[in-house]
Amino acid sequence: MAFNIIKKISLHGLVVLILVLVQGSAFAQVINIAVPADPDSFDPVKTVAAATGEIAFNIYEGLVKATPTGQVAGALANTWTVDETKTVYTFYLREAFFHDGSKVTVDDVVYSLNRARNPEIAVRAGELAMIQGIEGLDGAVQIKLSQPHGAFLYTLAEVFAVIYPAHAQDLAHHPIGTGPYSLEEWKPNQHLRLKRFEQHWSGQKPYFQEAKFLIIPDENSMVLNLKAGRVDLIPRLETSVLHQVEGNPRIQVLSFPMNTVQVLAINNARAPFDDWRVRKALALGVNQEEVIFGAAWGHGVEIYSALSPAMADFYNDQLASINTYDPNRAKALLREANQERLQLKLTLPSNYPLHVQTGELIAEQWKALGIQVDLEIVEWGTWLERVYTQRDYEVSIIGLAGRLDPHGILVRYTTENSRNFFNFSHTRYDTLIQRGLETVGEERRETYLQAQEILAQQLPGIFVMDPPQLVAMAKGIQGWRHYPIYVVDVASLFR
Amino acid sequence: MGRYLWQKTVGFALTALLVSVVTFLIIQILPGDPALLVLGTEGSPQAYQELRGELNLDQPAISRFFGWLIGFFQGNWGSSLRYSLPVRDLLQDAIPLSIRLALFAVGLALLIAIPSGMFMATNRHSPLARILSIGTQMGMAIPQFWLGLLLIQFFAVRLTLLPPGGSEGFISLILPVFTLALPRAAVLTRFVHVGLGEALEEDYIRTAKAKGLPRNIVLYKHALRNGAIEVFTVAGLQFAQLLAGTIVVEQVFGLPGVGQLLLNGVLQRDLPLVQTLVMLIVMGILVFNLGFDLGLALLDPRLRYE
Repeated sequence: MAFNIIKKISLHGLVVLILVLVQGSAFAQVINIAVPADPDSFDPVKTVAAATGEIAFNIYEGLVKATPTGQVAGALANTWTVDETKTVYTFYLREAFFHDGSKVTVDDVVYSLNRARNPEIAVRAGELAMIQGIEGLDGAVQIKLSQPHGAFLYTLAEVFAVIYPAHAQDLAHHPIGTGPYSLEEWKPNQHLRLKRFEQHWSGQKPYFQEAKFLIIPDENSMVLNLKAGRVDLIPRLETSVLHQVEGNPRIQVLSFPMNTVQVLAINNARAPFDDWRVRKALALGVNQEEVIFGAAWGHGVEIYSALSPAMADFYNDQLASINTYDPNRAKALLREANQERLQLKLTLPSNYPLHVQTGELIAEQWKALGIQVDLEIVEWGTWLERVYTQRDYEVSIIGLAGRLDPHGILVRYTTENSRNFFNFSHTRYDTLIQRGLETVGEERRETYLQAQEILAQQLPGIFVMDPPQLVAMAKGIQGWRHYPIYVVDVASLFR
Repeated sequence: MGRYLWQKTVGFALTALLVSVVTFLIIQILPGDPALLVLGTEGSPQAYQELRGELNLDQPAISRFFGWLIGFFQGNWGSSLRYSLPVRDLLQDAIPLSIRLALFAVGLALLIAIPSGMFMATNRHSPLARILSIGTQMGMAIPQFWLGLLLIQFFAVRLTLLPPGGSEGFISLILPVFTLALPRAAVLTRFVHVGLGEALEEDYIRTAKAKGLPRNIVLYKHALRNGAIEVFTVAGLQFAQLLAGTIVVEQVFGLPGVGQLLLNGVLQRDLPLVQTLVMLIVMGILVFNLGFDLGLALLDPRLRYE
């Protein structure tokens, strides 16, 4: 009996101890964020993985920085001017410090940007090819473009155009930036620890002193970690595990469009898909509403062309009726094109469950039209080689990540573009995209509205949805700021 | 003995070489190109060419293979393409973790299996033995990832007694070790049960009993020792298998072990990482097997005389 009492008391002691520990960690102002994979490299000119950009956003800053509404705002540049030829930009630097305590100088800016456009070092140097020369002035940097370029400022907000000290070594693992957080520790397959930077130029200090990105590859254990309190935030919850947190009183879920275009890519160079009527029939045979309900649990947003509604400034909202689901018309078009017994192979990347499920649903919808669909599910490496690079496919599904500026997204569909794995070719479209670079303001917007309409009508592929980004957080975490690009803005969060 | 060791060493070298050639060939034959995988859907031909040069992919396969092989034996294991870190740094954390996991898991499995197997062999008709028998069936049938998730749900989410994942200290290894140990314990229990059961039917046991030896001596010294050989052989195989990583359990618990590295390495066609890792695992298993063979000889005199 006495023994039992002792056991009970010690058990209570244990519970109290654990409660104290849990409470204690709450006061330490640490936020634990779950991500599925490690970054590839923190060298801004080497990285291409979205997983890196997501974290690097907190570490590095460029002359300008993206805002939640998809605009750009001054970061290391306080202000800037553009001359009347629209080819000379002058950026006036503000006083700012790097994480190692050194001051940001004109030389650092010139060095970083020159490195970013050097094709021998930078993997995405091509995106800065519009720059003709960079010159350091007193407290300012002047960038000359070879011709006016409407997307230039947005390009400077990308991760490859950020600023780091000219003396930095081994940026890949020891990034030195000016952002609100600095990288303290990176243990591959375990975690990344970010520490608040106390000397940020804005003078504001984020709420959390420390942000820990935990690598948890399995989506089910991510959710269990959130429930158990080891994780405070899952920035990208898989839709398939949404039901596990819905209705949980201690967890809140927010849903946003991802600014990703899920597209059913069609190989426009291959018969019979070179026939517009066949592509049109395939498009009319897709019931988007059903797909979003079935594959994304109703959380996706229907899209009709290559821009997501998240790109509010440039989005063409008049295209919904062009390819409305109409199986009878689809069948008629197939008859007209002599393709009543159409047989096609739908290639799906196995690492994206959303695309696989979307493909399975669309295959069923097409079968109702009398089309014979062979599903082929391939591993990501195979997909990149066969579908993306060799363009050896008939129909496939993929998500194309959004950017701040429409040019980067829409240029993919121009005839000569190396990323145009659709083999889409349309002369007027190519002209419009070129014009988009040379114009500004309302004229530029109008150009992109027309370009979107061409894509909706000509159908390089069938635009399905902007998949949902589900943000799952412990109740009490506040301040989530959503961006139309792939980032987690830790500095905005508080408890 | 010298001749025996010499034969083993030559066998080692040949096996290791063969494995490295096969690994290299498989990664070559698999579709998918590391440079393409790095660039994803944003790649351009220009960036692709640059990156291939940087990753040395533009050299002929044969010269890359021998370059790697020579480097491996010089202790220069190259850099991972996926993590852009030296392979050595990546392995520094992963290998000790995997060895620890394997040791604890098989150790715990034996701790569970030997008493329960003995109980089942000696008390065949008791209700507890029946329950244990059902338990071993279930232990073998339950998928490991599901068992892991169940344990997290109960001990981490419901009771908040143990961390749901990560590798911060010994306490975070408790759930993964149980997840790995339970199915293995189920298998081992059956081996103890059957091995001991058969041993107990043997003539020498009857003789021992007839001599009037106490029951415990008969059981432990005569029967268990003979029944144990198979059990330890199976446990050794389980250990070797765990050394090569436990991808599913590592994923569920977010553990940075060998399995995670290997999986990510293969998915990214990260040749230096995969090649080095496979080579080290193979060598580890070969060394372990040799030690294990010698160890078994201690248990079984027949093996010593051959």
